[in-house]
Amino acid sequence: MVEDKNQNVELTDHEAELYDRQIRLWGLESQKRLRAAKILIIGLNGYGAEIAKNIILAGVKAVTFLDHRNVAVEDWCSQFLAPKESLGKNRAEASVPRAQNLNSMVDVKADTSNVDDKPDTYFSEFNVVCATQCTIMQIKRINEACRKQNVKFFAGDVWGLLGYTFADLMTHEYVEDVVQTKKIQISDSGEPVQKEKFENIVVTEKHTETFVPFKSILNVTKSSLPKDSEVYYMILILHNYREKYGKDPLPSERGSENLKAEADIIIKKYDLEDKIDHLIESDLYAQISPVCAIVGGIMGQEIIKAVSQKGTPHNNLFTFNPDTLCGKILRLGH
Amino acid sequence: MAANISGVFTESLRNAILQSKVLIVGAGGIGCEILKNLVMTGFVNIEIIDLDTIDVSNLNRQFLFQKKHVGKSKADVARETALTFNPDAKIVHYHDSITTSDYGVSFFKKFTLVMNALDNRAARNHVNRMCLAADVPLIESGTAGYEGQVELIKKGLSQCYECTPKAAQKTFPGCTIRNTPSEPIHCIVWAKHLFNQLFGEEDPDQDVSPDTADPEATDSAGQGALNSESNEKGNVDRISTRGWAQSCNYDSEKLFTKLFHDDIKYLLSMDNLWKKRRPPIPLSWKELPDGVPGCSKEVNEPGLKDQQRWSISKCGTVFAESVKSLSSNLKALQEKSPNNHLVWDKDDQNSMDFVAACANIRAYIFGIPQKTRFDIKSMAGNIIPAIATTNAIVAGLVVLHAFRILENNLKACKSVYLRSKMNHRNQLLVPEKNVNPPNPKCYVCAPTPQAVLAIDTSKTTIKELDEVVLKNRLNMIAPDVMIDGTGNVVISSEEGETEDNNNKFLEELGIKDGTILKVDDFHQNYSLTVTIVYRERPSLKGDSLDFVILAKEQDLKPKEEDLVKPSTSNGQVETSDDNVMIVETETSSDVTKKRKIEASEENSSKKRKLEINDMDDDISIIENDINNDIDKVKSNFKAQNIEEKDDDCLIVHDDNKSIVATSQ
Repeated sequence: MVEDKNQNVELTDHEAELYDRQIRLWGLESQKRLRAAKILIIGLNGYGAEIAKNIILAGVKAVTFLDHRNVAVEDWCSQFLAPKESLGKNRAEASVPRAQNLNSMVDVKADTSNVDDKPDTYFSEFNVVCATQCTIMQIKRINEACRKQNVKFFAGDVWGLLGYTFADLMTHEYVEDVVQTKKIQISDSGEPVQKEKFENIVVTEKHTETFVPFKSILNVTKSSLPKDSEVYYMILILHNYREKYGKDPLPSERGSENLKAEADIIIKKYDLEDKIDHLIESDLYAQISPVCAIVGGIMGQEIIKAVSQKGTPHNNLFTFNPDTLCGKILRLGH
Repeated sequence: MAANISGVFTESLRNAILQSKVLIVGAGGIGCEILKNLVMTGFVNIEIIDLDTIDVSNLNRQFLFQKKHVGKSKADVARETALTFNPDAKIVHYHDSITTSDYGVSFFKKFTLVMNALDNRAARNHVNRMCLAADVPLIESGTAGYEGQVELIKKGLSQCYECTPKAAQKTFPGCTIRNTPSEPIHCIVWAKHLFNQLFGEEDPDQDVSPDTADPEATDSAGQGALNSESNEKGNVDRISTRGWAQSCNYDSEKLFTKLFHDDIKYLLSMDNLWKKRRPPIPLSWKELPDGVPGCSKEVNEPGLKDQQRWSISKCGTVFAESVKSLSSNLKALQEKSPNNHLVWDKDDQNSMDFVAACANIRAYIFGIPQKTRFDIKSMAGNIIPAIATTNAIVAGLVVLHAFRILENNLKACKSVYLRSKMNHRNQLLVPEKNVNPPNPKCYVCAPTPQAVLAIDTSKTTIKELDEVVLKNRLNMIAPDVMIDGTGNVVISSEEGETEDNNNKFLEELGIKDGTILKVDDFHQNYSLTVTIVYRERPSLKGDSLDFVILAKEQDLKPKEEDLVKPSTSNGQVETSDDNVMIVETETSSDVTKKRKIEASEENSSKKRKLEINDMDDDISIIENDINNDIDKVKSNFKAQNIEEKDDDCLIVHDDNKSIVATSQ
C-alpha cells in the first residue's frame, strides 16, 4: 500500500524553507516520507560519499556509514567526505563530520564493523540498505537478508570511469504524476468564436513493480542482453576479479595480466571478440570523481524514489558507459 | 587527487589536467558540484566567479555551503570549502558579474576551457560570445528538476549557444492583465505590477487600472462616455496610482475599495467585454467572504502553512497588514532619498504576502480559481525546482567533457541529455550521435553575422533600438551603431557622444526600409550587420515595442500578413520554420526595467538585490513535449532493431525570467 504510514507531523518552517526547491519538485508527501527514512550505506568510498551527500541533503531521518576499511590513497581521488589527513583512519568515522555539516537535521552515524560480522537482523533496523565495494558473496547475503526482512536493497560500484546501480525493491508500490493534455473550450479576448485550447492536468497514478534479487542478474544469457551491454560484461569481469583477489585492481596495476585473464573468461563465454577491449584498456583504477557524481547521483535519486514511493524506479540495473557517455537501464533476470 | 596518483589516468590526460587553467562561471548548484569534481580530480588552477550570495533555499543542493554561510559570497565560500577537499588547489574567486567589462576577451583567453554553470540566458549568451571571441572551448550545462543537459561550444566545430532559437519569453497582452484575466497567472502578474505601482519603480507599461483602449471595448457604443469619464476617475491617469495612494496615506480600506470595487465597477461598464465572459463581481471591504473555497469554514488543513488556502477575508487581512508594512518601509527609504523605492522580492515576507493576497482577491472577483501562497510564489518568482542529484549528474558530465577537451578529442564531446525517465531505448543519459555543427546562418557565430530587423522606423526611437533590440534582445553590452554607406554613428558606447539621438525616431536619422546598420560590441568582440525592413507598429497604445529579427529577409515576406494583423497583443509568438533563426516578437516591458535600474547608480543595494533575484536558481532546460511523442511513435514502430538514429534531443532552453517576465 502506498498509504501514509508516517506520523502526521508537519514540517517546521525551517524545513519548509530549507527543502523549498525540492518540495516544489516532489511534493510535501515525499518530503515527509524522506524525513522518516533510515538508510544504511555500506562502503564509504568516493561513490559511497556521493550517495551519502545526496540523501543527507534530501533530508532523510538517519544515515549509518558501515565500513571497516581505512582511508586509502585511492580515496583521495573522489572521497570528499574524508579529509586528506585522515589517511589510515577508519573511513566511516572519518566521513561523519563533513557529512553532518551537509544537513544538521539528519542523524549521521559511523559503524566500524565488518559487514560480515553483522547478523541478518541488523539490516532490519533500516528502510533502505545500499551496498558498495562488496563481493558478490556479500551482496547476495545482504540482499537475501533484506528480502526476508522487507528492506529495500541497492548495490553498486564505480571502477575508474565506469559504474552501475542495482535495485531490489521486491514488490514496490509507488505513485506517479502523469501529465495529461486535456482539450478545453475557451472564449479568448477579441475572438468572437470559442476556440480550442489545451490544458495540462496532472493525474496521480498508482503502480506496482516486482524486482528480482542480485543473484538473478549474474551471468545471464547473451540473448537476454541488448547489443550495447558492454558495461554489463565489465561489471562481471571486475566483480569476478574482486571475488578472486579480495580487492580491486590498483592504479599501480594498470594493464595487469590478472585483470586481462578475468576479462578473457567473460569475452570467451559471451563470444565478445574485441568488443570490450577499449573498456578493458580504459581507466578502471581508483574512482574518478565526476563518475562517482554521475552514478552516485543516479543511486541517490533511486533511493529517494524508493523511500518516497514516488516515481518509476529503475528495474533493475543502471549502467554508465564512459566511452559513449550513455546511461542505460537493463532489466535482467526477470 | 586522481591526477597526482600515477596510473589513474593516462599520462597525457594526467599532465593536461595538472597544466590546465579552467574557469567556472557560477557557483550555484552545478558550480559547486563541478568545483568538487575538479579539485578531487587534481585540477590545480581554477577560477570561479559568481555575483550571488548564499540563501537558505540553496542549501538543499549547493553542498559547499552551510547555514552559517547564509548571506556570504557564493564564490568565496565555495573556494574555502573546496580547499578543504584539496588544499593544494589554487582557486581564484570573484564575487562579481561575468558581464562586466573587467572580464574581457583577454581574461577568457587565459583559460584552457570554460565551464558555464549559470541560471539565466543573458549571462549564457554573453559567455558564449566571449568564448567564441577568445576561441576557448566552452562547456554549457543546465538543469531543471529531474532533467539536464551538457553541450560543447567551440567556434567552427559546434553550435554556439545562440545558433538555435530559444523559447520566447512568455508575456501577456496588457488588456488581459488589466481588463480580462482568465487564469491565475494573469492575476499574479497584475499583483506584481500593482506592487511596483504602489511601492516599486513606477513603470507605465505596468499600469493596473482598466485599459480603455482595449480593442474589444472600443467597439462599444458607450466608448465616448468611457473616455470622457476616464480621466476624472483617475483610472487611466498613469501617474496617479502612487500619488493617489500617498495622498490617502496608503489607507488599506481606501486602496482596497479603489482596486477591487471601483475599478471593477468601471470594468463592468465596458459592457462589450462581458458579452461572452463571466462579468467580474466587485468586492466590498466590509463584507468579505470568510469561507475557504472548497471548505465549509476556515480550517487548518494538513501541509505547510504556505500551502493552506486563504479565505477572501483572510486575503483582506493579509492585504491590509502587508500594505501597512510595505508603505512604512517605503516611507523609511524615501526619507533617505526621495527617489528610493522598494524592489519586489519573492523571499521578502511582506512583498510576497501582498502579491499573494492581491492575486487571490482579483482571482475571486473574476471567478478564477485561487492559489496557495506556495503556488503563487512559484509562479511570481519563476522558481524552477532544483535538486542535488540532477546537478551532481550534470556536473559529472561537464567534467568528463573537460577531460575530452584536454585530450584534444573535441569531436567526442557530444551533447548529453539527462532525462527524467528512460527513452524507448532504455536510455536515461542520452548522448547525441555527433557534435551538432554550427548553424551557418547564426547571427552570432557565422563568419559574418547578419540579421534582418523588421521594425517600425517611424515610431521607434534610437533609445528603444539601443535598449530593447540591441541590449535586451540581442544581449549586447555596449553597442556602437553606424549607418552603412554614410558612416553616420547613431549610437555610441562612449558616454555623451550620441545622447542627443535618444529620443529621435529611426527615420529622422535616415534609418528606413533597406538601411544597413553596422553594429559593433567592442567588449564582446562582436560585429553584426543588420538590414532594416519597415514594419508597421501594430500596437494601438504604443507602449510596447514590436519587432522581429530574422536571418533572411525572405523569411519575413510570406509572414507579413500575419505580422501586421492589428492586435494589442504584444506577446504573439510566430512559429519558426527551418529557415528562420529567430522569429519572435518582444515587449519592452521586462528587461528594460532591469537595465534602467542597473544604470542608476544612486542606490547600489537595490542593484544588488535585483541581480540576486535574477540569479536565484539553477536552471535552464525544459525538454520539449515533442520528445515523448517521438518516443511513442518510435517505440510503436519498434525502432530498436533498425539502424540507430538520433532522437529525443530536442531541448528548448528556458529562462529564469521567461515565465512571468513582465516585471522584476
